[in-house]
Amino acid sequence: MSTEDVDVSTGDGLSCSSCGAPLHAEDRFCERCGARIDKPPTPDAAATRIELDLAIAAAVSDQGLVHHRNEDSFHLEVTGDRNVAVVVCDGISSASAGNVAARNAATAAGTVLGKAVADPAKDPSEAIADAIQAAVDAVIQVEWTTRVKRVDPSCTLVSAVCRGGDITVGWVGDSRAYWFDRVEARQLTVDDSFAEEGIAKGLLTPEQAAKSPFLHSITHWVGPDAPERPPRTVSLRPERPGRLVLCTDGLWNYAPSAGELGRLIDALPHGAAPAAVARALADTANERGGHDNITVAVVNIDP
Amino acid sequence: MSTFTTECYQNEYLPLGGSEVNAIVTVTSDGAAGETIQPEAAEIVIVDTSGSMGAPRRKLEAAREATSVAIDCIRDGAAFGVIAGTEVARAVYPTDGTLVPASARTRAEAKKALRRLTAQGGTAIGSWLTLAGTLFATMPGRSCHAILLTDGENQHESDEHLDGVLAELEGQFQCDCRGVGTDWRVSELRRISSALLGSVDIIAKPEDMAEDFRALMQTAMGKATGDVALRLWTPQGASVAFVRQVAPVIVDLTGRAVQVNPQTADYPTATWGSESRDYHVCINVPPGAVGDEMLAGRVSLVEGDETRAQALVKAMWTDDQQLSTRINREVAHYTGQAELAECIQEGLEARKEGDLATATFKLGRAVKLASESGNDGTMKLLQAVVDVDDAATGTIRLRQDVATVDEMSLDTRSTITVRIGSGAT
Repeated sequence: MSTEDVDVSTGDGLSCSSCGAPLHAEDRFCERCGARIDKPPTPDAAATRIELDLAIAAAVSDQGLVHHRNEDSFHLEVTGDRNVAVVVCDGISSASAGNVAARNAATAAGTVLGKAVADPAKDPSEAIADAIQAAVDAVIQVEWTTRVKRVDPSCTLVSAVCRGGDITVGWVGDSRAYWFDRVEARQLTVDDSFAEEGIAKGLLTPEQAAKSPFLHSITHWVGPDAPERPPRTVSLRPERPGRLVLCTDGLWNYAPSAGELGRLIDALPHGAAPAAVARALADTANERGGHDNITVAVVNIDP
Repeated sequence: MSTFTTECYQNEYLPLGGSEVNAIVTVTSDGAAGETIQPEAAEIVIVDTSGSMGAPRRKLEAAREATSVAIDCIRDGAAFGVIAGTEVARAVYPTDGTLVPASARTRAEAKKALRRLTAQGGTAIGSWLTLAGTLFATMPGRSCHAILLTDGENQHESDEHLDGVLAELEGQFQCDCRGVGTDWRVSELRRISSALLGSVDIIAKPEDMAEDFRALMQTAMGKATGDVALRLWTPQGASVAFVRQVAPVIVDLTGRAVQVNPQTADYPTATWGSESRDYHVCINVPPGAVGDEMLAGRVSLVEGDETRAQALVKAMWTDDQQLSTRINREVAHYTGQAELAECIQEGLEARKEGDLATATFKLGRAVKLASESGNDGTMKLLQAVVDVDDAATGTIRLRQDVATVDEMSLDTRSTITVRIGSGAT
């Protein structure tokens, strides 16, 4: 096998410290220069979870208990007075370099939204469209080669711009956004999946959809081979203080309905900080199996 | 399908600035333990029928008898044929330019055809091999093997012609070469056998021929794999100094490399039965810093596209001289065995040229190496050529009354090695 024939994704974007050649996850020596590869960091709690606590907003990304790496990524920014830009991405695991795709997409989209949220003249829906385009452009740049038949690097994306009391959410794929306050628990997004499309077209009941793993296949994603479509957005102006929650399927698979997720939050001490909520939700997903990477972003909204 | 296993022996520690990495890789094949389908074989026996084969008369009779024994060893269904060689090559059986599946009937027909052989004509070995190549080519996909028997020098062809023929036939079939009597040239048959990945040996007495042919054919029939290559990956910036088989017989494979990609080359090893072979690989790598560890080579056995076993050759730089100056036992042993073979060949060559000082020095060194390594087989052959005064120091006297057959036996068998602690061959 030649060095050109290495799937860089499984190297976790790693490269040889001696010659820069891409590495393969199981490599003990560099395939180009033969240098010994330093032992990969052993998974421990610190290495498998990333947390960002910005007081009014926080995010946690956890590797989960089954996957050997985290292919989720997030970007979170708080600017000025309670302006929040947040992006959560889930690298598609059947694709090459899903982790790099997610990281690049979150960074690119987050950077666009970070600027937009501070600019009162910028229309949030337009900003989200720009952000998703930036994410697509970034994912196309992801360097990868494959030795097995896998699809191009790609990921899902859910994002939100919170300015004053206004929230605009935009998404591609099946990462979700929810709204929770003292009276309601509401899913804001509709998954781009065969299941949701089937339900929307009246072909399936939600119960049937929930049972079929195939129907979880997503119909839209961020990546070079993604079907063209303007991003879906939804805006809301909450009447009461509450929490905006963005998450990947690593969480919602363990609490498929907004009500169930809401009950988990309600079980927490009253007034729990966003970081505490995000941590608790990620912990719950791990307690229930942790079969996927889990990423949760929580934003406190006080209109 | 055979299972291959490998073991790697080396001192991976190198001193600062050190770049030469040596390793002995032992490859063992279980020969499929008899249970699996053997590759379809094709066999050709090439018998020298030049005029000299008739003097003494029993030489040709013995060759006929040995060929019959070999034919009896070919299993049913395997394709076979017999070629008679003089200054031209002639298909003795079958005569229609193909090979035939072995059966009771075809074996009997072949033996009948053998009876009509007469000794008459010259020797043009290249043309014999070319005909064998043409006949094997009618059997694509088979594991092809030939036994070549001659009693003389390749008189009716130039060396260049033979070299050209060998270059063309490399990799197409395997050929074991046997010289009967003492009128053939060891270097010539060695050239053929090493190009065609076979063995070379002397049959001093015609009556020993049948037993030898039986053993050769039985070994050929016991091969459980098709073509296997030894694949060597080396890091960028490294160069392969040599790759040689060192046991059971020394065969230099360095020049036989077929580049797979810039960092990987395949060396042919032909077919495997239930057996074990040792390889010495020597790789020059770019020196590292103290504490650096490097994969200096990866040796794999590949059959087709499939990797059957692999061994890692490593390099680790240290400033601890205790570690870096230690020479691995196996590497030292086979370095000695290779030098032993070289000393014998050079010593005999010098003796032939009348350079008795060089001959005494080289053969003395050979005696010392054979004694130290416990290569009793080679030691015995050496003693037929030299009188040993002190084996430990290599003090010898050249014998005056050396029989040609002893000299040729020593030359032919100089490349037979022993393993550590295995004693006599």
